[in-house]
Amino acid sequence: MSAVVRRLGQAVITLAAAGALVFGMLAVTPGDSAQRVLTARGVQEPTPAAVAAVRAELRLDDPLPVRFGRWAGDAVRGDLGVSWLTGRPVSAEFAERLPATLRLTAAALALAVGLALVLGTAAALGAGRWPDTLSRTIALVFLVVPSFVLGVVLLDVLVVRAGLGRVIADGTWATVFLPALVLALGSVATWSRVLRTSLLEAGSAAHLRVAAARGTSRTRRLLVHQMPNAIAPFLTMVGLGTASLIGGAAIVESVFTWPGVGRFTVEAINARDMPVIVGFTMVAVVAYVVASLVIDLVCAWIDPRLREPR
Amino acid sequence: MTGAGILTRAADTAGHRHVDRGVLRALRARPAARVGFVFAAVLLLAAVAGPWVLPDPDLPDYTRQLAPPSAQNLLGTDQSGRDLLARSVAGARSSLGAAVVVMALSALIGLVLGTIAGAVGGTADAVLTRITDVLLGLPTLVLTLAVVGVLGPGFANLLLAMAVTSWAGLARIARSAALGAWQRPDVIAARMAGIGPARAVLGHVLPGVTAHVSVAATLGLGEAVLALGGLSFLGLGAQPPTAEWGTMLAAGRETFAHAPWQLVGPGVGLVLAVAAATLIGDALRDVTDPERRR
Repeated sequence: MSAVVRRLGQAVITLAAAGALVFGMLAVTPGDSAQRVLTARGVQEPTPAAVAAVRAELRLDDPLPVRFGRWAGDAVRGDLGVSWLTGRPVSAEFAERLPATLRLTAAALALAVGLALVLGTAAALGAGRWPDTLSRTIALVFLVVPSFVLGVVLLDVLVVRAGLGRVIADGTWATVFLPALVLALGSVATWSRVLRTSLLEAGSAAHLRVAAARGTSRTRRLLVHQMPNAIAPFLTMVGLGTASLIGGAAIVESVFTWPGVGRFTVEAINARDMPVIVGFTMVAVVAYVVASLVIDLVCAWIDPRLREPR
Repeated sequence: MTGAGILTRAADTAGHRHVDRGVLRALRARPAARVGFVFAAVLLLAAVAGPWVLPDPDLPDYTRQLAPPSAQNLLGTDQSGRDLLARSVAGARSSLGAAVVVMALSALIGLVLGTIAGAVGGTADAVLTRITDVLLGLPTLVLTLAVVGVLGPGFANLLLAMAVTSWAGLARIARSAALGAWQRPDVIAARMAGIGPARAVLGHVLPGVTAHVSVAATLGLGEAVLALGGLSFLGLGAQPPTAEWGTMLAAGRETFAHAPWQLVGPGVGLVLAVAAATLIGDALRDVTDPERRR
């Protein structure tokens, strides 16, 4: 139990530190924030009075710790400020686009886990023989072809030339397959290799030789005896990888014009819309921290050895 | 280790060189690593020799817009009639050069902070380790996006953003290497012989730590090329007139359906670069990590 509490505390500390880091970046941003709000709103040469009005509106003249406290308090309540560009609350903008991003990452996650399980298990079963080589080669190809190159090629070959699917993705399940596949491939490579290594490691245990001597079939040994022992490192990779899918989603969403949070943020970066950028960072960080927390707790549930505090 | 020469750096570096030669030989015995070295050599050769052999990558020829591959333009031309082979090779220069700059900067940050944490210890170590852990516990690409957002899009800003968000892993390596070196017999002997802490760190700890960190940073080049290309593709890095792989891919997108050859140069370049780093890195890990040696 104390290990769980300790792990929760660690997650909270990471979140708080990340919040301070992100707010600190905002504070050291070159240029006058009020000036940039006005530029983002399309006012080219604002009068000093207009700048002062914005400063008062955003309460930029308060001391930094006060502003941080106010920002953190708002963020905890789900208020991420107002987009400089659209003038609407950032949380409202995200709420509109988050379902599309979640659909994309969920589909990518399912594809990646499935493919990695197949490739990793095949490689471990046929270690040193052709399934291993084949799996390693496939993983390498997945790893070295950048998602944006693959995305552009797939869009041209499958969608534009062969007429499969739609060019304009609308963010629904009907169009999710291609972008999800492109997003998934990079993770498949690493995850399948990790699974292979830990399956082989679990396979070298003495009790498996006993099981083999008693006539337990190869498949049963693998699924019943090796998999539970090998799954913890795999799950850890999946957990951390899931959250980094959110970063990758920004690129894939832009390639496929997927109407998600990632593409919205890339547009915000080009427009220097700071509240949106900061909001996206915090959402992604929370997803990352929560994902690794959940995975650690799941691993402790599977593997009793991890429950004891080190 | 013998008593004689224990305080001299010659003994230390000779030992390092011996190990390095063994690793190189083991690497050469692996076909995957050999393929990786060939890819790297092809890219380097193209990047270095390209400007002498090929036409000006930025010279437009409006009579030959989007020309398909031919004897005159081996990879065809882009929408401004610029030679795509020359641009892809120029892209190798800017992409690989930028990746080297990013990894060198982040290796420098990691080296300094990690060595301080490992050699000084105490509060400095506790604070630096906490910062490193927080940074390692956050998604790098998202942080890079955030820093680019703060600094504004642009190639130099992107390099800076990547460097300040990717040093944490290298700092951790530097810290453990420095910690190990600090307890090595020759360093303890040097301290007892009256060499000051600063000189002991600079003369005896830093060389070994630098070796570790530079290997790790070199292996990170592939990921750096990938991230640079991806973010430039999004328009957050190199800006259009620059010949850079990600930017070239983005520029070719509008006309790609009619002129698919625009994708070949930058696509192949990116794949070769990432494959080289991955193949060499994997082989190096297999060779140096006794647990993975099968």
